[in-house]
Amino acid sequence: MRISEQAKQLCRARILEKAAELFAARGFDQTTTRDIALAAGVAAGTMFNYFPSKETMAMTMVNEALARGREEFQTRLDGSEALEEELFLLIGTELRRLRPLRPFLGPVLERSLSTFPRKSVCPEGETARQEHMECVRQVMRRHGFSATPEDVAGTIYWSLYLGILASWTGDQSENQEASRGLIDYAIRTFVQMISGTAQGGDHGH
Amino acid sequence: MATEARRKTGIEDRAALLNLMPRQEEAARRRLAELVESVAAKRPPTTSFSRLWILGSLQAKVTCAYLAYWLRSRWADADERERLKSETHLKAALQLLGTMGYLRGAVMKLGQMLATFPDALPDEFARLLPALHFEAPAMHYAMVREVFLDEFGKEPHELFASFEREAFAAASLGQVHRARLLSGEQVAVKIQYPGIARTIEADLRNLRLLMQPMRLGEDWGNTVVKLAEVERVLLAETDYLAEASFAQTVRDSFTPEEGIVIPRVYPEYSTRRVLTTEHLEGVHLEELLDSAPSQELRDRYTHLMTVATTRMLYRTHWLLADPNPGNYIFMPDGRLGLVDFGCTRELSDEEWQLQVEVEDALLRRDETEMERLIVKASLYDSAEQMGQERLELIGRVIRWQLEPWLSEGIFDFGDEDFFRRGMEAMVEVMRKGFTRGMPVHIWTNRFILGARGVVYRLKGRCDFQEIYRRESGRDGCGMSGAATSK
Repeated sequence: MRISEQAKQLCRARILEKAAELFAARGFDQTTTRDIALAAGVAAGTMFNYFPSKETMAMTMVNEALARGREEFQTRLDGSEALEEELFLLIGTELRRLRPLRPFLGPVLERSLSTFPRKSVCPEGETARQEHMECVRQVMRRHGFSATPEDVAGTIYWSLYLGILASWTGDQSENQEASRGLIDYAIRTFVQMISGTAQGGDHGH
Repeated sequence: MATEARRKTGIEDRAALLNLMPRQEEAARRRLAELVESVAAKRPPTTSFSRLWILGSLQAKVTCAYLAYWLRSRWADADERERLKSETHLKAALQLLGTMGYLRGAVMKLGQMLATFPDALPDEFARLLPALHFEAPAMHYAMVREVFLDEFGKEPHELFASFEREAFAAASLGQVHRARLLSGEQVAVKIQYPGIARTIEADLRNLRLLMQPMRLGEDWGNTVVKLAEVERVLLAETDYLAEASFAQTVRDSFTPEEGIVIPRVYPEYSTRRVLTTEHLEGVHLEELLDSAPSQELRDRYTHLMTVATTRMLYRTHWLLADPNPGNYIFMPDGRLGLVDFGCTRELSDEEWQLQVEVEDALLRRDETEMERLIVKASLYDSAEQMGQERLELIGRVIRWQLEPWLSEGIFDFGDEDFFRRGMEAMVEVMRKGFTRGMPVHIWTNRFILGARGVVYRLKGRCDFQEIYRRESGRDGCGMSGAATSK
């Protein structure tokens, strides 16, 4: 049994690895599940036992990267950060982990994270949102804000975050440095909004 | 309550800003204030401009100061219709400037550029400029950490023995932090704002669009060329490795006995976006002045500044294109530290040739040749085409700039009459809109104004001719054209 479980994990990992290679080389839309099965050396039917769709595969990679980013984020905190800084670090650390997947992320995130009503909601996309928002909620609590992810603040945060992801995914500048300004600006805007102060936005006083 | 307090702060800030504007033309000041008010009062959403305005930010101060002058110059001869048109453009200008408000580095830079844009720096600006370099708000440390990860793959605390989270100085395109190397040396780490180069490009694109309808008349073509020049120099400034290499060149041209210190660069801690140099202990101009230094010390520093800048010019044909009090560190042992070589401009062979020709003409007291060169530098074919008034005024400015070259013995840069004459001539040039000229003169003028502003405030003296002769290797009393100062 244990061997079988290990083999399963290896197979799953191989599928993800080959899928990532193909997505990066050909693009997400141009890659079929058949291509992936072939490259991973598994039968199409077997593969569907692991991942029902290529969106699921891609979002699994995304979620794993984001989770690693959040773990790393926790280790980078020293407790002296202001709310803006902490959120900036959270997003920055996540995106750094996400960077290897960037070449094919556009269509994946568009489909899986869209907030518009869809026929089928991607469960991994929903996981991504919940896990990120849970982390944001913890950060905010630490700084004395008690917003829940479902309320207005959470919704606005998520909209800003999606805007950041969209910009970052298509950012042609070196190390996506153009998006870094946007992240800072978006976070300051958000913090300004929930704090009800006139500050924020500009690198401000 | 909070709203009321905010409103009150806003009003106070506006009053403070109004005080910064030139007083001579009360009507222009008031009208400008109204215009700014009308733009700033627009809500919602809060425009970047009103935020800048309410924060009383430096960009806004400098921009407004510039605009006030600009408005005055427009009003000098214009009829009513022209005035209204100018106001409309001004309004658009304010709104657009507001949208350029995020990445402050470029805006600060632009603010400085705008302040001297038509090549003149009125007295008020001379006092405003120092503030630009030390009062700016900072990038937060989380941003700095992310920049480090991109540049070095390491966090600041992994790279250095210690690293101060708060910047101790704002550089025009970034900010400077104190740190200590693992080997123990104290260093200054300059960090560039992410994406600043793109912002400069975008802002200058906007500025070109913005200025187009202002119809700068026959000189519009020249203005476009100058904007391109500004863009080129600013973009070059974003490459800190180029700056490091230039700093090394300058460093090599001074010996320790001379009392001029160029901080050592640490290449292993430097990239295009991060520059680590030796940290020099000392004070800036304001602090030095507060300590009521002796005349002897003032003269010593004036001597060292003159040696430093003339040597750079004559040996390497480089100008410090953006000299400001922040470039000078007055060290406790009487040495002068020279820091921040980001904004520099190398003169082309053709530009240098013109310097030499002007120098020769001045040396020979050849007025006919001087006139020919002034016409040439102003991009006219003949004195007739240039016009008598323009020729006379530009000539006055150039002769003022070159006065030290013709004065035997100790030259007093702190002389109020001397400084005022120069400023008045330059303000007059700007009011008349006589800004046409070679793009390099943006920098030579900045160089002279910046440097003269510092030694004027220092009330310092030196034997300029002696220094000139030694540094240029030329005999007799000469000069070097419009590019050198002090």
